[in-house]
Amino acid sequence: MSEYQQFLVERNKVDFLIQKGYLINNILENLNGSYVDFIHPNDQSKETLHISTANGRKYFSSILIKQNTTSYIKNE
Amino acid sequence: MADLSINLAGIKSPNPFWLASAPPTNSGYQVQRAFEAGWGGAVWKTLGDPILNVSSRFAAVSFNGQRVAGFNNIELITDRPIEVNLKEIYETKKRFPNHAIIVSLMVEPKQEKWHEIVKRVEDVGVDGLELNFGCPHGMAERGMGSASGQVPELVERQTFWVKEVATTPVIVKLTPNITDITATAEAAVRGGADAISMINTINSLMGVDLDNWNTIPHVAGKGAHGGYCGPAVKPIALNMVAECARNSRINVPISGIGGISSWQDAVEFMLMGATGVQVCTAAMHHGFRIVEDMIDGLNNYLDEKGIASVSELIGKSVPRYSDWGNLDLNYNIVAKINTDVCINCNKCHIACEDTSHQCIDMLTDTNGNSYLKVREEDCVGCNLCSIVCPVDGAIDMVEVSSDLQPMTWNERQAALNLVAQCKTDVAK
Repeated sequence: MSEYQQFLVERNKVDFLIQKGYLINNILENLNGSYVDFIHPNDQSKETLHISTANGRKYFSSILIKQNTTSYIKNE
Repeated sequence: MADLSINLAGIKSPNPFWLASAPPTNSGYQVQRAFEAGWGGAVWKTLGDPILNVSSRFAAVSFNGQRVAGFNNIELITDRPIEVNLKEIYETKKRFPNHAIIVSLMVEPKQEKWHEIVKRVEDVGVDGLELNFGCPHGMAERGMGSASGQVPELVERQTFWVKEVATTPVIVKLTPNITDITATAEAAVRGGADAISMINTINSLMGVDLDNWNTIPHVAGKGAHGGYCGPAVKPIALNMVAECARNSRINVPISGIGGISSWQDAVEFMLMGATGVQVCTAAMHHGFRIVEDMIDGLNNYLDEKGIASVSELIGKSVPRYSDWGNLDLNYNIVAKINTDVCINCNKCHIACEDTSHQCIDMLTDTNGNSYLKVREEDCVGCNLCSIVCPVDGAIDMVEVSSDLQPMTWNERQAALNLVAQCKTDVAK
């Protein structure tokens, strides 16, 4: 699979969880890439995605910044 | 016609083009010839205790047919008595009162030595002083030049000693042979410098003769490191000027030096924070009259841009120069090959396939003609294909829109840190 195809797979997985209402709860970054923990605010269910592509890391990071901004606005 | 005059820390000159302290400014005859040709100022070759030079002093790198892509010298400061130099400086200033004469100085790091030479030089009516803390060869072995310039405390102290007695603006010339030039630039400012200039030459050995195994150049079979300059050093110099220009603690004007060979180079240095520029290698390569093209080119550029004064250029690109962590990770460009211009030499394909991201395909159309095509989704926008392409206009790097908001590495890391702090709250 090309790296671009791998990125599309990872992006779809991230989008799927975000569309179901999950929030990024924690990120572990190491030599293998990023492990992104998601949590659903209603039932506390958890999911973890392993993001290995550079574009995938940019993608979830952009979503995280958006999430942080939204939660900041809500808190205000 | 735009106003080309500059005012660098109180030193006025009719244009921003000065000759740097070096062989071209060794004598009154040369400096007067330079002023007649149109140079706005000259930094007189460094005065100090007269030295002894060796024979065989220069060497140059030619690259792919371009002569003097890089230049190296092992010549030292003036070998003429100070009285002779001062007489010629006086005569030159008298004949060209509106041109800037700055005198480069180098003495042992002793207060009385600096006081003495500053007073003697200023007595003949110079426009400014430049302290040579950069010369990397010969003099450095005696504790002067770059040996002083690599130690911030010595830069600060010697600048302070000069400022104790100087009545004209003091420029401190910095060596690039140091990890972080802003450290010595800040020291110069702390010492009271009115301006800084950079870069002096870079430690270098030009080569080894494959037939007789001598160094290039060699002196009776022995060599020593020299100072490297010329077009090859321009990117290094430009970065150092920019790093100083964007440092808020270095709040003095900058005289840009290093590989400046054209009016375009001068504009780049001024956009990156230089108030004016100094030139040496290009004058040694082509003669003093290259300044005519520099002046004409600069004038035309300013007129085309509708800019009334060259000083309006100073520092305009500095806000665009930052740390890597402030660059937008979501900005994307990709290569586009214009098949009507491409000559199918395949250099881009080879470069991409062997050393980059394997995203340029060699294809054949329905008529059996070969063509190259970029798989844009795999292109990271590295520019390599357009760099190696021998045909102008065959490859364009074009911006592609992104659905994602701009995001820098620093912003990303801040977001990651925030989520780590807040995860407990989310879980609650």
